[in-house]
Amino acid sequence: MSVRLGGVSFRYPGSDTDALHEVSVALRPGEVTLVTGRLGAGCSTLLLVMAGLAPQATNGTRTGEVTTLDRDPATRDGRKVLAGRVGLLLPTPWTQLSGMSFTVEEEVAFGPANLGWRRPRIAETVEWAMERFEVAHLARRDPRTLSGGELQCVMFAGVLAMEPEVLLLDEPALELDPAGAASMYEMLPSLAEERTVVLASTDLDRAVAVAHRALLLDRGSLVADGPAGEVLGSDGAVATGCSTTIAEIARAVGLTPGYPLTVADAVQRMRR
Amino acid sequence: MIVGYVAGKGPLHEAHPFTGLVLAGTVVILAVALPAPQGPAALAVALTALALLAGLPRVLLTALSFSMPVWFFLGVIHGVIGDAPLRALTVGAQIAAILIAFLLVLATVHPARLVDALLQRGVPFSLAYLLAGALQAVPRLRRQAADIVNAQRCRGLRVRGSVWRRVRAIVPLAIPLVLGVLGEVDERAMTLDARGVAAPAHRTALKPPPDSIPQRIVRWLLTAAAAALIVWRIAG
Repeated sequence: MSVRLGGVSFRYPGSDTDALHEVSVALRPGEVTLVTGRLGAGCSTLLLVMAGLAPQATNGTRTGEVTTLDRDPATRDGRKVLAGRVGLLLPTPWTQLSGMSFTVEEEVAFGPANLGWRRPRIAETVEWAMERFEVAHLARRDPRTLSGGELQCVMFAGVLAMEPEVLLLDEPALELDPAGAASMYEMLPSLAEERTVVLASTDLDRAVAVAHRALLLDRGSLVADGPAGEVLGSDGAVATGCSTTIAEIARAVGLTPGYPLTVADAVQRMRR
Repeated sequence: MIVGYVAGKGPLHEAHPFTGLVLAGTVVILAVALPAPQGPAALAVALTALALLAGLPRVLLTALSFSMPVWFFLGVIHGVIGDAPLRALTVGAQIAAILIAFLLVLATVHPARLVDALLQRGVPFSLAYLLAGALQAVPRLRRQAADIVNAQRCRGLRVRGSVWRRVRAIVPLAIPLVLGVLGEVDERAMTLDARGVAAPAHRTALKPPPDSIPQRIVRWLLTAAAAALIVWRIAG
């Protein structure tokens, strides 16, 4: 297991309720795990806890056991050992800019350079990551002059250039146009072949097509964990709006739970 | 956009960043220690010629716009009230020389090259980050402030008109700017952490600027000349 949480609770400073409450889960490489829930469910917090940034950067109180790649990511030792091995992408690209790069190429190279890699290795991985996200033609541009969608692709390339073993994505396609969002989601299963991918998203129409597994959170508690189709097709998920448009339509027209999640699912079910 | 930097390919642009910095530091010492008023005046003229030769007249215009008000007050205080026009000339020339020297460095040393040069010499990442971050923060803050002005104007805030009205408009403009920046700091700290800033390795300089023996000799000569001048002034 690459990420393991045992009875983890987390509370932000000044709050009188837990953002996460007694969450236990184990994630393995080779899977895209979707984390979803309603607003305030704790999806982003779960990712921050896995990265060790909660409470390291956010402050607050964490209880329970967190192990990411065999280390507690919130400890000093864990931070050092896990540097670059756990990648995190946030929804807002402009706050993720390093503030130290004057070209897109430098921005993508920021993480690998921090890891002290040799220049030929950095050049190789930066080129690969920029091509993967189709931003190679922007290499010489000032990243601050890019559109939100372009910048998010650059930030994703920067995270991937560090070759992380665990990839934590918090609403990665929020700034992208529909075609860009679709291609970003389509990329996730291939990225998960070599690593653990955790995707926090409310864009469930797209996410369901790429997720192997889903965790459904409600006010900080894990209420469902299983294959994505099963979790998102349940009556509880559809009733609370944590499912796909097709599933909501299926429920509205009176189909029984185990709702189809995509058009293809719906067609298949109707044929049966 | 990078504050003050003018893209180019002249010898000043190609020089190692430390050469430019040593030159500016030497100018400060020369401006203060050379016999006045001829020394500082000659220095200001020499730097003006250097800026023109380097094809950077913009540097002179910027220096002029900063120097003019100071020259005016120096003229009034020393020249008219204090009856010491030579003193006004000396201080005016010193200020002009120092300003031109630093603006030349700003215009010709790309911050990325300076950061890489510092990292290559083993300067801690945090110091290099402080330098590059500060240079990038200015245009970002300017853009953010413009966005806030536009947003507040859409909501009916009047930011033009009398001085009193402009002063009153500062608070609804400044508070969102400050709060926005503080909010960003948290998120940026998280992403920097996630991008390996806490890694135990020393950060790799991406494109360390080439240095040469002649440039090193020039730097040592400039430093020696500045030190000799200080000694001469103290002894004399």
